[in-house]
Amino acid sequence: MPDLKELMGSIGNWFLFSKRVIGLFFREGISRKVLIQQMYQVGVRSMVTTCVAGIFVGAILAIQINLQLKDFGAQSFLGGLSTSTTIRNLGPVLIAFLLSGRVGAFSSAELGTMAITDQLNAIRCLGLNPLAVIIMPRLVALTISSFLLLVLGLGLTVFGGIIISSIYLNVNPLQFVSHIPQFVSGSSIFIGVLKSFLFGLIIGTISCFVGYKTTGGAEEVGRSVRRTAVVTLVSIIVIDFLVSFVVESVTQLIMS
Amino acid sequence: MRALGNWAIREWGQLAYPTGLFWASIVGLLKSLTRASLRGKEITKQIYECAVMSLPVIAFSLGIVSLMSVLEFSWHMKVVLKQDALVPGFSLILTIREVAPVVTAMLLASRVGASISAEMGVMKITEQLDQLKLLAVSEVDYLLIPRWIGCIVANVTLTLISIAIAGIVTVFIAARWMGYQPAEFYNSLLLFTTGHDLEGALLKALCFGTLIPFVSASYGLRCAQGSQGVGDAATQAVARSSLLIIISDLLINSIWWMP
Repeated sequence: MPDLKELMGSIGNWFLFSKRVIGLFFREGISRKVLIQQMYQVGVRSMVTTCVAGIFVGAILAIQINLQLKDFGAQSFLGGLSTSTTIRNLGPVLIAFLLSGRVGAFSSAELGTMAITDQLNAIRCLGLNPLAVIIMPRLVALTISSFLLLVLGLGLTVFGGIIISSIYLNVNPLQFVSHIPQFVSGSSIFIGVLKSFLFGLIIGTISCFVGYKTTGGAEEVGRSVRRTAVVTLVSIIVIDFLVSFVVESVTQLIMS
Repeated sequence: MRALGNWAIREWGQLAYPTGLFWASIVGLLKSLTRASLRGKEITKQIYECAVMSLPVIAFSLGIVSLMSVLEFSWHMKVVLKQDALVPGFSLILTIREVAPVVTAMLLASRVGASISAEMGVMKITEQLDQLKLLAVSEVDYLLIPRWIGCIVANVTLTLISIAIAGIVTVFIAARWMGYQPAEFYNSLLLFTTGHDLEGALLKALCFGTLIPFVSASYGLRCAQGSQGVGDAATQAVARSSLLIIISDLLINSIWWMP
């Protein structure tokens, strides 16, 4: 099975790469100016996308959950249930999908262009380590700003749900909000935030890794973008499942 | 205010170009149907590229997603309704209506959409598109229509396949971990779902399958010079088509399942 061997090889390479870059971050630190500059570049460009994504995801899930609750005549639970489902499970995944297409693909295209036009080699010639100078600030900035954007988007999903349910589903905002505390506990919010952080880390490390390893010509940059997008989406799904599974097992252990 | 106006005009322009391509392809498709000059071989190749090559990734992802959605729903139902008899049916319905079409389309947008725009971008910067023009071959007929058909076929079939996979995984998990009988599960499924829901999912698949190639092609065909341009085009294509997928999903949701 050469495919499987290749897959395992790249997972291992990715892991080593992330370990080395994150180790560099903890050993050498990062200048605050560079970090803020990079975060500004990544964050501000994707702000509109994230806001739109958050509001729309909240609205979509409110409509869907409303459909399901209508069969039970339990529409009054709409606010709590849709907010809880969005924050715990589907919200981070869908917003991270959009963000990975925007942020992850962009930085892997940028790094890939740098790699194929020998800009990384030029830095090596100057006696500097490209991992420390180019990759590490980007990876840290990507991780932090994806995390912040995801949390912002998650917050906005609540507004999306409120807007759609008041203008379209005839559930007034107060009724919507009043059920939220009943379902959304601290642990749900913690799970949402934990997932957001892990997705930010995934987007950052994978896009930097694929971009850094790009070789060849212009076509390879396009292929890198595609590979980043697909791999990020699949890993987001897998990580999401693992977090849900672990949390579920831990709660069952505690309960029993 | 002026910045807002400029932004609106720019966004409108971004949307207008794929729409123009869409009309051009409909006209081209009708013309080539009357002349019976569709490029059968190319279409088959595109269907293979879009559908068959994406199958493993999508099957794997949807399996995991439906697993996760059973887990999460069982947690919610225990808290909310104090009963979990309906959990598998409930989570499968959400998968059919919402998760399967959207996740499939997102994966296709990042796989197929990025490769369409990168391919067209490379053709543009290496002047292959100009050569097509020189040969009096329309790029819409030659490049876009096969990809459009390929994408639609891929999206519809893959959505159906992913719904089937979600069904199998959910039944298996429900029977294995939670002690439901498969028959009980299908009972609760048939109680809540109708053909209307499946048609809605197919409508979504059709719409997303049209969206992806046109948005991606519009970025590829307008790709800027240089290798930077190709990367930018692919990135923009993925980002824009996934955003449009979410927006059109809300539209379809609110129209198709009108309360």
